[in-house]
Amino acid sequence: MSMTKLTLQIDGRSIETESGRTILEVCKENDITILTMCHLKGITDVGACRLCLVEIEGVSKLMSACTTKVADKMIIRTSTEKIKRYQRITTELFAAERNHVCSVCIANGHCELQKLAYDVKMDHIRYPYLFPQCEVDTSHPLYVLDHNRCIVCTRCVRVCAEVEGAYNWDVMNRGTNVRIISDFNTPWGESITCSDCGKCVEACPTGALWPKAVVQGQLNKAPEFISDLIEKRKMKL
Amino acid sequence: MSKKKLATVWLGGCSGCHMSLLDIDERILEVAQLADIVKCPIVDGKEFPEVDIALVEGAITSDEHLKEILHIRKQSKILISLGDCAIMTNVTGMRNYFNLKDVIETSYVGSVSNDDAGEVPNHWALLKLNDKVYPLQEIVEVDYFIPGCPPSADAIFYVLSELLNDRIPDLSEAKKMKHG
Repeated sequence: MSMTKLTLQIDGRSIETESGRTILEVCKENDITILTMCHLKGITDVGACRLCLVEIEGVSKLMSACTTKVADKMIIRTSTEKIKRYQRITTELFAAERNHVCSVCIANGHCELQKLAYDVKMDHIRYPYLFPQCEVDTSHPLYVLDHNRCIVCTRCVRVCAEVEGAYNWDVMNRGTNVRIISDFNTPWGESITCSDCGKCVEACPTGALWPKAVVQGQLNKAPEFISDLIEKRKMKL
Repeated sequence: MSKKKLATVWLGGCSGCHMSLLDIDERILEVAQLADIVKCPIVDGKEFPEVDIALVEGAITSDEHLKEILHIRKQSKILISLGDCAIMTNVTGMRNYFNLKDVIETSYVGSVSNDDAGEVPNHWALLKLNDKVYPLQEIVEVDYFIPGCPPSADAIFYVLSELLNDRIPDLSEAKKMKHG
């Protein structure tokens, strides 16, 4: 694909880039902070978390920066009051929908959702908590899937399919009943597709997927490891 | 300038937030210069008086807590949710995923630590648990929130000292705020 040079404006800054890139990629290259949750460098972007919303002049809706390609003369705003308000609402809804009990969570202190809460200055949640009864799948010998902490970013699903190629994970149901499932909604430990590689665990931004060998508050994931792996696999020796 | 009246309350929580309050150490003298602590869990059981600032630890878990928080709201100019239980029910709310009857049976009858068949305590003086545990803001209007399990002593002192000096605290910086 031939690249054409184009010029656009982000938060008042004039930026030169090439066609075919997403707004998020261009922002990252230019040190413009965009909050993300479902984005993981190297795997397909799906615009699921709605945190990277940006305003584009002439477009009435907010667009997700990770799935919107740049175009010539685009005028983009990334941190207006409206966007900040939406980001805070989104974060609060993540917290209200499942059971995120930081104090007893394995990921406490190393959690992207917790960090997000600080980034959007969330000191409390204005919506009623749903307190759903969620399962914890401990059937896998090495890892645990805790639906209480899952925000359905689907990073695990994509990393399993696109990087490992095992296609163990999928998504079931809709709305608040949505669940990540192993194979055809069977216990993870009985999976015939899972290769036990643990990439989903590294990719998971919260305490929803974690290794059994870790104790409370000691979980430290390295999702950038996945991005590095993808780059390394492109190398021809 | 007359001294402000400060109260601290312990509802459905573990008292850890109060421990963190005590961790402000000698800075409590600065608080004492600006305010009288007229009610707290270690003063006697008088009815909750009119106060300028009420720091409320814990979630609303029972009929008694509900009555208390409604009364505290009426009596307080500024009501502060102190800690994760008050703000998001935290550990106290983990029973919300289950039916209350099952929770009580599991705790008192089926518990593995029971030597014999246990029984559910049923004394008139005991509080009656609500079906669900609620964070304070779902019951009453809350003016400020200090999240954390427990909140840091620095965060608590910061909020108190701002309010006692008639300033508006801003906890939004990550270094002051923590969840969990």
